[in-house]
Amino acid sequence: MKKKKLIVFAFLALLIVLVAIFAKWLCPYDPYEQDLSASYQAPSFIHVMGTDAYGRDMFSRVIIGGQVSILATLLLVGIISISGTCIGIISGFFGGTVDMIVMRISDLCLAFPGLVFALAVAAILGGGVWNAVVALALISWPKYSRVARGLTLSIKDSTYVAAARLAGDNSFQLIGRHILPNIIGPILVTAMLDIGTMMMELAGLSFLGLGAQPPVAEWGSMMSNGRSMLQTYPWVVLSPGIAIFISVVIFNLFGDTVRDAIDPKSNRTK
Amino acid sequence: MKKLVALMLAATMTIATFVGCGASNKEEKHASTGSKVFVFGDTTFNAENEEATIDPHDTYCGWPAVRYGVGETLFKFNDSMELEPWLAESYENVDDLTWKVTLKDGVTFSNGNVVDAEAVKACIEDLVAVHERAAGDLAIDSIEADGLTLTIKTTTPKPTLINYLCDPYGAIIDVTAGNEGGIVVGTGPFVATDLVTGDHINLVKNDNYWDGDVKLDEVKVITISDGDTLAMALQNGDIDAAYGMAYASYPIFENDDYTFTSTSTSRVFYLQMNYNSDIIADDAVRAAIAMGIDKESFVDTLLNGYGYVGAGAYPDSFPFGKGVNVQTYDPEGAKKVLEDAGWKDSDGDGIREKDGKKLSINWVSYPSRQELPLLAESAQASLNDIGIDVQLNITPDHGTIVSEKDGWDVYGAAFVTCGIGDPMYFFSTHCLADSTKNRGSYSSTDLDALAAEMNETFDTDARSDIAIKMQQQILDDNAFVFCSFLKMSMISKANVTGLVAHPCDYYEITADLDIE
Repeated sequence: MKKKKLIVFAFLALLIVLVAIFAKWLCPYDPYEQDLSASYQAPSFIHVMGTDAYGRDMFSRVIIGGQVSILATLLLVGIISISGTCIGIISGFFGGTVDMIVMRISDLCLAFPGLVFALAVAAILGGGVWNAVVALALISWPKYSRVARGLTLSIKDSTYVAAARLAGDNSFQLIGRHILPNIIGPILVTAMLDIGTMMMELAGLSFLGLGAQPPVAEWGSMMSNGRSMLQTYPWVVLSPGIAIFISVVIFNLFGDTVRDAIDPKSNRTK
Repeated sequence: MKKLVALMLAATMTIATFVGCGASNKEEKHASTGSKVFVFGDTTFNAENEEATIDPHDTYCGWPAVRYGVGETLFKFNDSMELEPWLAESYENVDDLTWKVTLKDGVTFSNGNVVDAEAVKACIEDLVAVHERAAGDLAIDSIEADGLTLTIKTTTPKPTLINYLCDPYGAIIDVTAGNEGGIVVGTGPFVATDLVTGDHINLVKNDNYWDGDVKLDEVKVITISDGDTLAMALQNGDIDAAYGMAYASYPIFENDDYTFTSTSTSRVFYLQMNYNSDIIADDAVRAAIAMGIDKESFVDTLLNGYGYVGAGAYPDSFPFGKGVNVQTYDPEGAKKVLEDAGWKDSDGDGIREKDGKKLSINWVSYPSRQELPLLAESAQASLNDIGIDVQLNITPDHGTIVSEKDGWDVYGAAFVTCGIGDPMYFFSTHCLADSTKNRGSYSSTDLDALAAEMNETFDTDARSDIAIKMQQQILDDNAFVFCSFLKMSMISKANVTGLVAHPCDYYEITADLDIE
C-alpha cells in the first residue's frame, strides 16, 4: 500500500517536473505573444484557461510559468540543502569556535520571519527570479544545518566512528564514509517536504513584485497581475493559483510518502 | 476518528471566516451622530504623487487642497477650460506687465478672517518665495494691495498670468494661520482637521463659508493606492465614492447601485526620452519607439475604451490640439528605420545590435497611475517585435531614478498638459532648458525661439498657432510620445449627488456634494 502511494506521488511529481522541463514544446501558443483583440476571453476550447488583459493564452503562460516556478524552486532547495548540510556537518564535527559562530549566525536567520528577511534582501538585490532565489537561499539554509549538526553530534561519538578513527581515517574520510551516509535520509526528507514551502515563498516574492519581472511568466507574478480581475475575469488569477495549489499539494504528499518510506520510526506514530 | 474531527474543525473554521466577512453592518456607521458623512477613496493623496499635505505652497499639494474643498483660487475654469470668477470678481490687463485684479466683497477664510487684497498679497508673496515652479510661472515683480484691488506687476510679459493663478498652487490661504502638519486655512467649503500623509485627511463643514450652504457635515478622504482594495472598499460600503478605480474593475460597478461621472481631461500618458543615454540620443531609435507603440489597441482594450488616443500634447477638444502630424503605429516602418541606421540582429536572438551594443532600453514608470504599467507592458511586447528589448522598472521610487542623468532611457508618466487652459504650460514645465521636468535634457533652438515668441504673444489665436508649431517640433524630434488622454471617471454610490468630474481634474469635493 505504502509502496503504491510512493509510486503514484513519485510519478505525479516527476510529471510536473517533466512538464516544466519540456514546457517550451507543450505550449499551444506563444506565452509572450500579445493579441489585444483577444483579451479577457473566457476559458473555451480554443483557450483552455482563457486569456489575460494582453490577450495572451493563460494555459501556455501557466505551463511556461511552471518552468520558472518549479525549476527555480528545485534549484533553491538543492542549493540550501547541500550548503546547509555541509555547514551543519562541519560545525557539528569540528565544534568549538567554528560551531559557535555558525550556530549564532543560523540563530540570527531563524529569528527573522523568513519572508520578511527575503523581502529585504530581494529589495536590495533588485527584482528578478534569480535574485529571489538568492534571497530565499540566504535565509533558508539554517534549517538544514541544524538537522545536519544535530545528527553529526550524535553520530560522531558512536563507537564505529571511534573505531574508524583508530583505524587511521582522517576527518574527511570520517565525514564522507560514516557521517554523511547516516544523515542523508533525514536531510532528504526535510528537502522533499521543503519544496512546497519554498515554492510558496518564491511565488510570494513574485506576487509582491520582487521576484519575476514582466513579461516573464511566473505563477506568483501572474496572480499578482491578475489580482484586480478576481471579480471580473477570475480565470486570469485562478489559473496560476490552481497550478500553485496542485504542485504544492503533490510535492508535499510526495515528501510525506518519502518520509514514511525512508524513516521507519514514523510508522509507530500512526 | 481523529481525522474526522480535524476535518470538521477545518470546515467550521472556514465557514466562520466567511461569515465574519459578511457580518459588517453598512448602515450603522453614521446612524449614531445623525450627521452627513461622506467617505472618499482616492489613489493619489500621498508623497509618491507629491501630494503629501494640503499646503498649496508645497510641491503639488495644492491639488488636494483644491480637490478636497479646502482651498479656492482667484479664478476657476469652466467645463471648456475658460476662466470664471471665483474669489475674484474681475481682472484687467493694464499693460504688458501690469494686471489689476478685483476681489469679491464678503469672502472670508474658514477662521473668520477677511479675504482682502492685503491677505491675497501676503499669500502670493509667500508662494513665490517658497515655490520654485510658481515663482517661474508668475514672474512677479511687485504686488500692491488696496482694499479689494490687487495690482500685480511682472518682470517679463506674462500673457497667462491669470491662468497660472488658477493652478492649484494659487489657492488662497491665510498665511497668518500657519501650516502646522501641512494643514492650512483656506476659503473653501471644508476645513481640514486631521491629516496623515498617505493615509487620510479628515474635513468638517466650514460654518463661515462665504458662498452659500455646505450640504455635508463631514468628509473623510482615505488614501487607497491599491486598485483592488479601492474596488472592494466601494463594494463593501466603506467608502461612498472612489477616484482612480482600476479599469478592470469597472464592470463590477456598471449597474444601478452606482453612478459614474466621466469627462475627457488633458491628462496625458506620455513617454519622455532621455537624451543623456547614448541609445536614445540616436534619432532612429526614438523614431522607432514612436512608431512601435500601438496606441489604439492600448486605449480600446487595456483602458476599456476609457481614454482617447493621443497625437500632440493636447486633446483635440482644444483649438491647439488639432493639426499636428504624428507617427502612427507602423512596426514595419520602425524596422526599416532601425535597419537603415545600422541596428541589425546579427546573432539571431530577435534583438538588434549596433557596434556590439544591444538595443535594450530601460523603461521607468510608476504604479500609482494604473494606465502606466499597462502601457509599459504592452509597449514591451510591441517594441520587442521590432527588435528592441525593453527592461521595465515600475516603481514608486521613479522620481529618484529619473532625477539622475543616467540609468534610464524612457520615462512613462502622466501629466495634465493643459491644467491652466493655456498651451504654454506643458512646454514651460517639460521642454525648455530651465523646465523642472525636462528630465531627459531635451533641447532645441527652434523650440526655444518659438517659446520666446509665445511669451510675447497675448492674442489667444496666435498663441494656439505657435503651440501647434511647438508640438510639431517636439514630435518631429521624437522627444516625447503622447500615447493617450485620460477619460477621468469617479464612481460613487447611487445616493451621492453633486460629484462631478471636471476636465481639469481640480474640483471634486464642493459645497454641492451631498449624500441622501
